[in-house]
Amino acid sequence: MAEFITGNQAVVRGALRAGCNYIAGYPITPASSILNDMIRAFADGRGIAVQVEDEIAAMGQCVAAAMCGARPMTATSGPGLSLLSENIGFAQMVEAPVVIVDCQRMGPATGGATTTGEGDVLFARHVTAGGYPLPVLAATDALSAYRLTYNAFQIAEELRTPVIVLLSKDISSTRQTVDLENVPLLPARQRRPAPPDRPFRPYEVAQLAEVPAFAPIGGPQRVRVTGSIHDACGLLTTDRREIERKLAHLNAKIAAAAERLEDVDADIDPQAHILVVSYGLPDGAVRDAVDELRATGARVSRLTIYSLWPVPQRAIRAAAEGVRHVLVPELNIGLYADVVRQVLPGVHIESLARYDGGLIAPRTIRERVCSLLDGCNAPGGHSA
Amino acid sequence: MSMVTATRQEMMYCPGCSHAAVLEQLGAALDRLGLPPEQVCLVSDIGCIGTADRYFACHTFHGLHGRSITYAEAIKRCRPDLLVVVLIGDGGCGIGTAHLVHTARRGVGIKVFVCNNFNFGMTGGQHSPTTPAGGVTATTPTGAGDRPLDVCQLVIASGGAFVARCSALDRNLPEMIDATLRAPGFALLDIWELCVAYYMPTNKLNPPKLVEMSRELGMPFGILKNEPGRTDGQPAARPAADVPAGGSRIGPSGGEHSRAPARAGVIPGLRWPPRVEIALAGSAGERIRSAAGVIGEILVAAGLQVAQLDDYPITVRKGFSLSNLIVAQQPIRYTGLRTPELVIIQSEDGLRRFGSLAELSPETLLIVNDELTWESTPARVLPVTLAPLIRQVERANVALALLTCGLIQCGWITAEALRNLAGATLKGRFREANLRAIEAGMRLVSVPAARA
Repeated sequence: MAEFITGNQAVVRGALRAGCNYIAGYPITPASSILNDMIRAFADGRGIAVQVEDEIAAMGQCVAAAMCGARPMTATSGPGLSLLSENIGFAQMVEAPVVIVDCQRMGPATGGATTTGEGDVLFARHVTAGGYPLPVLAATDALSAYRLTYNAFQIAEELRTPVIVLLSKDISSTRQTVDLENVPLLPARQRRPAPPDRPFRPYEVAQLAEVPAFAPIGGPQRVRVTGSIHDACGLLTTDRREIERKLAHLNAKIAAAAERLEDVDADIDPQAHILVVSYGLPDGAVRDAVDELRATGARVSRLTIYSLWPVPQRAIRAAAEGVRHVLVPELNIGLYADVVRQVLPGVHIESLARYDGGLIAPRTIRERVCSLLDGCNAPGGHSA
Repeated sequence: MSMVTATRQEMMYCPGCSHAAVLEQLGAALDRLGLPPEQVCLVSDIGCIGTADRYFACHTFHGLHGRSITYAEAIKRCRPDLLVVVLIGDGGCGIGTAHLVHTARRGVGIKVFVCNNFNFGMTGGQHSPTTPAGGVTATTPTGAGDRPLDVCQLVIASGGAFVARCSALDRNLPEMIDATLRAPGFALLDIWELCVAYYMPTNKLNPPKLVEMSRELGMPFGILKNEPGRTDGQPAARPAADVPAGGSRIGPSGGEHSRAPARAGVIPGLRWPPRVEIALAGSAGERIRSAAGVIGEILVAAGLQVAQLDDYPITVRKGFSLSNLIVAQQPIRYTGLRTPELVIIQSEDGLRRFGSLAELSPETLLIVNDELTWESTPARVLPVTLAPLIRQVERANVALALLTCGLIQCGWITAEALRNLAGATLKGRFREANLRAIEAGMRLVSVPAARA
């Protein structure tokens, strides 16, 4: 069934479909409508919605709710993500599944509240102290916002980790035709429950990449949650072997899942000399531009990346097989182009950056591709 | 089994530190309540008192500095049946002041114990928000100059249900802890303590001086407020049941009238080109975005693909308001404008924000408020006098009328087809007003578009 909904409405639908039952949030443009709609959705008592005093409280509540067994979410924009930071680190340390939606806007600071920008793509990955990884997904439109929000809950549950879903203003508030009925989604996941017949050791894992079993606060098995470095029992430790084991585990569980988490859409021409890597809002223009270039005989490949972190290295290398140039259009100063550069040493990586609040038009992409290919028959048309 | 699993001597606190005595009494009070350990969750903040979680046999939760209140609130909301106890220091009440105020204001039934020893013990004896004026600390070597925070008055003003203060050395400490644990609603006990490592020796503080300090500061001991607040938390959320595809329960679909089924087959009177781009430019309050949304919904119901990208400043009642409406046969990927076929300029704000009309194509139809002064443009121009239209449909519906006029004038849909689709699609409280605006728009059609 076709519907006409915004990216933020798609986020809400994906969250509800995934069983989200706790939201704590603080109003911020352009994310606010997610909180508004979740409050209305939970009016039937199926979930708890709290408008809190700041984003610090929002994330704090989400972590604690997760440890009670809830499936929490918060939604914010760049300035709010800054405040979520400390409790995102806490969520990593206690292995709390929380979905964080960042409806990006032009930054830094207050930036442009109603102006688009996608400058949080590195900040999302490095959002908290310590440097430990967390999955980051980036929507390109309302439909992918629905799919990725749903998937983020499954990834969060499976790996017991915070997961960040990125939108931007012109995805969040743009209405698009979508059909949510037949979207391929990840299988529904739940945390592995702790066996009821043994004493509960909240952070015990048989091997580094294993995700610990879960028992909720308030259940029959007593739970210890601590943001301090801890042993398998959840007790503060100064034992270096225990410390290394815990921290290596935080890295290993995400690293081991990296290839499974790869979420890309590759449209490859094996004869292509140029690959366009896209993510986020510019993806629509990239798809149009690639079709238009091909109509004139140009050989171009496209790779759309939905899973920004962990970096889908395998997919990027495969897509770049044989190409001389990689073009990365982005609504920031060229942040992800640097990431692609690290994956593809020896290949020319060209950044196409725009950060004045405007969109990157298909024509701009076509022109840049043509100049990299040393001229091609750019299709006609008067503008864009 | 006792709720506290260590003796005072086994705890890691400095000999003579009040924390150990308070924890021992808290454990005893919890034992007196007789709750099974699984029914209690202890949330500890940061600082020396934050390390207390390990000594308790119940569920424990030890998070970040000042944020214990936020965790406790969520735990209480998820599990209203649990007794949720917070242990926080005076430093935590400073960095987490906002949480203390707002959780008290929201009436969440957590029990907060402030272990207040007037300085930061764990980090080396710096002054805290409760350090009395004159108090000598590592960061106030000549004596603190600021007024100390009265945690109790703050929480009373914020709507806490039970607020009390005592000294860790008082004989009535057990009764005060009992009363706090048993009070319904948000309860807080401010316990004045001695930090034997820093504040006590530096300031020659001793038990009698604590009482004297209470008098001097006008911060009395005793129960300061006891008005049963709201009940201990809201009912727990029911577990989220699996919901059907799309997941909508209430509200968050695309508004009141967005879920019309796509129609299969040909709709008589609909002659939509492969892709059409429309720009509406006006001012806040002119329902520019609403007009685009209404037409978008109608055309989605007709089986077309639609994208609506808006541009507006942060104020919703002032300044420009623009909507790009793209309607196509195939899925729309790039949601920006390339060459708009229809441009509607309703106000000066919209004219200024839209940009150059000189770049429009000769095929573009420009519908423009005839009171404006616009530059020369290759587009076909249809100037419209708004006054009669405003008399028919009110100013707020003019944008929808102009858009309707444009769709029909461009030949993409007949008046009859649009009337039928709108009648079948539009719902909600604006249905009648929207239908009237669409009819008014139809009456505008037929004026031939002149070249400027």
